[in-house]
Amino acid sequence: MTAVSALLRDVSVRVRGLPEPVIDVPDLAIATGEHLAVTGPSGAGKTTLLNILTGLERPVSGAVLWDGIDIARLSEAKRDTWRAKQVGIIMQDFNLFPGLSALDNVLLPRQLRVPRLGNDARERARHLLEQVGLNRHDQRVETMSRGEMQRVAVARALQAQPAIIVADEPTASLDDTSAKRITDLLIGLSTSSAATLIVVTHDQTLARAMHRVVSLQRGRIVGSRTAPT
Amino acid sequence: MIPLKFVLVDLRRHWVGSLVIILLIAGATALGVAVNLQERALRLGSARAAERFDLVVGAAGSETQLVLSSVFLQPSPLTLLPGSALAKLADDPRVAMAAPVGFGDSFNGLPVVGTIAAFVTDDGRVGLSEGRVFETVAEAVIGAKVDLALGDEVKPLHGTAGEGGHTHTELKYQVVGRMGETGTPWDRAILVPIEGVWRIHHMGDGHDADEHGHAAHDRTGEASEAERGPAEMMERIGPPWTNPQGVPAIIVKARTIADAYRLRNEYRRDQTLGVFPAEVLTRLFSTLGDVRTVLAAIAFATQGLVAAAVILVSVVHLAQRRRQLAVLRALGAPRAALFGLVWFEILALVVSGVAIGVVLGWGGAKIFASWVSDASGIVSPVVLTWEDGRLALGLLAVAAIIAVVPAMMAYRQPTAIALRS
Repeated sequence: MTAVSALLRDVSVRVRGLPEPVIDVPDLAIATGEHLAVTGPSGAGKTTLLNILTGLERPVSGAVLWDGIDIARLSEAKRDTWRAKQVGIIMQDFNLFPGLSALDNVLLPRQLRVPRLGNDARERARHLLEQVGLNRHDQRVETMSRGEMQRVAVARALQAQPAIIVADEPTASLDDTSAKRITDLLIGLSTSSAATLIVVTHDQTLARAMHRVVSLQRGRIVGSRTAPT
Repeated sequence: MIPLKFVLVDLRRHWVGSLVIILLIAGATALGVAVNLQERALRLGSARAAERFDLVVGAAGSETQLVLSSVFLQPSPLTLLPGSALAKLADDPRVAMAAPVGFGDSFNGLPVVGTIAAFVTDDGRVGLSEGRVFETVAEAVIGAKVDLALGDEVKPLHGTAGEGGHTHTELKYQVVGRMGETGTPWDRAILVPIEGVWRIHHMGDGHDADEHGHAAHDRTGEASEAERGPAEMMERIGPPWTNPQGVPAIIVKARTIADAYRLRNEYRRDQTLGVFPAEVLTRLFSTLGDVRTVLAAIAFATQGLVAAAVILVSVVHLAQRRRQLAVLRALGAPRAALFGLVWFEILALVVSGVAIGVVLGWGGAKIFASWVSDASGIVSPVVLTWEDGRLALGLLAVAAIIAVVPAMMAYRQPTAIALRS
């Protein structure tokens, strides 16, 4: 049994005007190094759950414990700091910054946080770009293919050596080949860095590659199955 | 820290909005700067032009007109002072120099001014840039910007060509010297002995016939023209005059300041008018100052409108980048960085706008000043001073405070909601 990394207890999120909570999770544990897929129909609250897990949103009630720290109780600034250190995020539409090179995109979040980038940060960024299979580090991101863009986003998410990697529909806007490549990268890189991987996805190939799949419906976990090992 | 490269890329991506902000700010700044610079330049320029004119004595009339005509050589028919006034002033022990200025003639549109040699050199204080001072009645000294050479001939025209004047055929002058540049209308004047002006206007030459040893000399000068030989052109000019003729104005240099005030009061009588040009100018400029206040108010209001426009543009712009900022935050940028990013970008635009505006305002004032100088001969020195620096710094300070509004909006926006937008 692996150590419990995240523990959600009695978490509920409500939106004004809706009688039912958007998220209602009485209990969800995620082990350190686990690969978890969250599936479910649109509007099931998958992204909200992800936001709760990464501290981008605060639940109205309940505790979100990561290694014993309840991030729901942290101040906004402290949650930002925690997220910057612990979480790497990959989004469906990449959200790279056009006009900047692949390398600058990978370095940008860190640049905004520290007074001066060290050489080791640059080294790591170049190494990560190599790992995701990109050799032209100075290429502007807007000139890249969608698959390449998402690979830059993966490198960016890993720059701070996060313990948690979170991806929201990372393959949804990619063709099959690129999707396959991203799936392999996510699994390979999180395994090698022993990071916990949480993906929200409709992509069955990606979901099947995870250790566990939980399905969400109207904010509630309605099913959980563990992949055969 | 805010990566400069990111800021540049970001501003370039939103270049239309950025350009609009820069141009708005540049325009408003230029307006304010130009108003200040031009007013100051005009004030400095005319004060400089009046420097050599301690006290001006003329016939009773408008003080302003007397100053405009004598200091700025603006053509206008002034009532003549009787020649006795000139003689009296020249003999006055309190007077260091009493220089008559006689105008009314022109040559190629340039004023021909009759005076004395001492005035040309400011009583020996200023040298000529070339040649020498006139020594006979048929010689002339030209201003620094007069397009003539030494040795050229000047045939004065009564009035100006535009007024349908006639050329005086009685006397022509030969250019023998050129004055140094003064930045005043006198740079475009031709200075001749006052005797020449008198003679041309058939008023005699201020020196009695006996003085020249000419028994049959005619005071009116008309008959004498025919009689005069070249030798006669060598006759004595300048004070003292035994029989001075009327002059429109006399420039008086008093020995002491107290003497100057006493003289001015003495000559503020029924028939004569004594003025300190500086005083008249001060009064003129207080009127001009009111105009400046109005212009400054307009400039200020413009800046206010621009500030409002900048807030509007930056808030709209911010709405468009809600998502971008939220992504940065989700990726680990602290809120202070978002605040800094928005604030810094706006300030960078304002700084560029103000810088361009100062240059534009300065250039505009320069162009206007050169136009004034072409038209009037008054060189208005356009100089940036600490006052303009304060204006620019003030604008920047206001912008820095205004930029806090959108920066704060960026700081406070909830990430999760912005990410979904």
